[in-house]
Amino acid sequence: MRNLTGLLFAGGLGFMLLAIASGIDFGTPPMRIGEAIQSASPQEVGAANIVTSVVLGYRGIDTLGELAILFAAASAAGLVLGRRHTTTGTQRKGGFVLFHGGALIFPFLLTIGFYIIFHGHLTPGGGFQGGVILAAAFFLPLLARPGARLHHSILSVIEAFAGASFILIGLAALAEGQAFLQPMLNQDTLGSLISAGTLPLLYIAVGLKVGAELASLLSNLAQTESEQ
Amino acid sequence: MNNLVLTIALPLLGAFLLPVVMRLSQALGLWLGPIILGYGCWLLGNLWFNDITLPLSIALGGFDAPYGINLYLDSLALLFAFAVQLLGLICWPYVLNQDTARRQALMLLLVAASTGLALSGDLFNLYVFYELAAVATFGLVVASTTSAAYAATFRYLILSGIGSVLTLLGIALIYSQTGTLNLAHLAQLAPELLHDRLGLTAYLLILIGIGVKAELFPVNAWVPEIYATASSRLSGFLAGLLSKLALLIILRLLVLIFDQPEAVQIILILGILGVISGEFAAWRAKDMRRMLGFSSIGQLGIIFIALSLPDERGLLALLALSLHHLVIKTGLFMLADGWGGSLERLTGAAKRSPVGAALFTLFALSLVGVPPLPGFWAKFTLITELAAQSEPLYLIGLLVFLLATVIETSYLFRIVAKLYSSAETTTEQPEYQHLPGLSLATASLFGITLLAATVLIAPIGDGLQAIAAEAKNAELYIQTVIPVTPGGQL
Repeated sequence: MRNLTGLLFAGGLGFMLLAIASGIDFGTPPMRIGEAIQSASPQEVGAANIVTSVVLGYRGIDTLGELAILFAAASAAGLVLGRRHTTTGTQRKGGFVLFHGGALIFPFLLTIGFYIIFHGHLTPGGGFQGGVILAAAFFLPLLARPGARLHHSILSVIEAFAGASFILIGLAALAEGQAFLQPMLNQDTLGSLISAGTLPLLYIAVGLKVGAELASLLSNLAQTESEQ
Repeated sequence: MNNLVLTIALPLLGAFLLPVVMRLSQALGLWLGPIILGYGCWLLGNLWFNDITLPLSIALGGFDAPYGINLYLDSLALLFAFAVQLLGLICWPYVLNQDTARRQALMLLLVAASTGLALSGDLFNLYVFYELAAVATFGLVVASTTSAAYAATFRYLILSGIGSVLTLLGIALIYSQTGTLNLAHLAQLAPELLHDRLGLTAYLLILIGIGVKAELFPVNAWVPEIYATASSRLSGFLAGLLSKLALLIILRLLVLIFDQPEAVQIILILGILGVISGEFAAWRAKDMRRMLGFSSIGQLGIIFIALSLPDERGLLALLALSLHHLVIKTGLFMLADGWGGSLERLTGAAKRSPVGAALFTLFALSLVGVPPLPGFWAKFTLITELAAQSEPLYLIGLLVFLLATVIETSYLFRIVAKLYSSAETTTEQPEYQHLPGLSLATASLFGITLLAATVLIAPIGDGLQAIAAEAKNAELYIQTVIPVTPGGQL
């Protein structure tokens, strides 16, 4: 019975989506806001990557909300995972290739991660993408050596201050008499590394927060699994 | 005016910092959350009493309304934002254990998200805050450690996830038709671009998606389980306030964008079904918290019926019922803190806790709608409005509403009779729990609020009338957010 209702629901939803899709005019999206932002953002914000000027400038509070969602999810996962009973199990070390390969690739991952974060306002990428790569860099040694531990206290300090600095940069604009999260500082030349005012700083905060959050979440998961 | 955004930014800041602060100094950590919420209350209270010209729109990031995201503050938004901060303070998780930091951080996130839901003037920004509220709620519910809580949270997670996807789909449809997400801008464009089949589909998707939180009829299966397992304070916050914020979003969409008869009709039908299913389930419930959960579904069904009424008086009934339900349901959940579990255990409880029993009776009387309590005025406004409509569906709504009141009376006064019954038929009294002092004090606070509202019913009614008129005025909203000539270069 339950399967049947599920099937009916899924079928109905599928039919509805098809009906909707047939009614949409693909290929000619209305660009009311998009066009205006595309033409104005290089002068207004000064970031060569227009996506960045939307993510951190025009819709900065959305990004703050996304950061908060990630933080809430990690906290909730911590509440669930932190409570499991711990029983010591055997932990097998990773093989030679994984072990040394992990050590070899670690600095490269760090470099790429930070590169992507620092160039978020110039090229595709940014804080979220770079942060995930940073988290992967720190998680790789954990896979190779299951006994290793990440320093959770350091991670949580990084996480807290990265998140706080995003908001504090926004509040600094407010204290200057401008709007919350308004881009500040010099815009400089479009396309150079130091340009677009506070946007790169915001992306560094996002990158560190995402990296620390995911790294501690992954190590939490790995530890809970290996302890069972 | 600009510091209105602090009511969202400061709770987020506090939530990010709380785990670290708590490790440095527990005392400071424990005070951090309440101080932030207290400051929020003070800030919003100041706005209420200072003479500022409402409504107003605040551009975030310094980009004007249709391009950036704006906060929209009218009396209705201010009222709800204030209620969020105040109720966050009242329902604050004071419990001390190893999870305190995480739990309080999640509560701060929930308050920030709820404030955002009350204030934001951008469709996608609303979605972000809606998601944040959902994720924070998962964490808070699962924090009550029992395996029943895990099961309940899992069900909630699935339903809420489906709701989120549907909402996002609806928003994407709207964006694909209009190319904008700002509510005021959408309101300008809606008559020519969204009043068709596609727009109505988008509306339905958003309604079902947001309806998960508003305990709308087909997507409310999570309600009884969550309220039975979560802490009473959290249940109070969710049933009392978060459901109303979801309702507020639907109201804004109805007034601004989907001002069509079909959109209203579907709400009326779902509301009627919600009343029937909720009230009958509550009548059959054997457990105090479940009963409150089901009754909450029924009450929100009634509020949805009020939402479907076309004119200002309908909105007045909606506001009155919402605020009334907020006070009553939160108070009742506070009482359920000690009286949770089987209803049988309540036999003769009035002797041991006379104040609690008196409060329960007071809430029950007002919920049923006995004059001169505020519940009567709220329900009376709804009845006269429903009776004045000519469409037959509204008359069905009226009949269902009256039937619901009879059922409500039956199950609420069954408990009142149990509380005051002296015949102790069962020899062994199973573990009777006393009401915790804090919960009783909080419930008393709501009782006093209710009595104060009874005395001040005339000024409150006038105030609500003004708020309703302002909220119903779509033209005012558009002019406030996009003050330039409507339909100009955009």
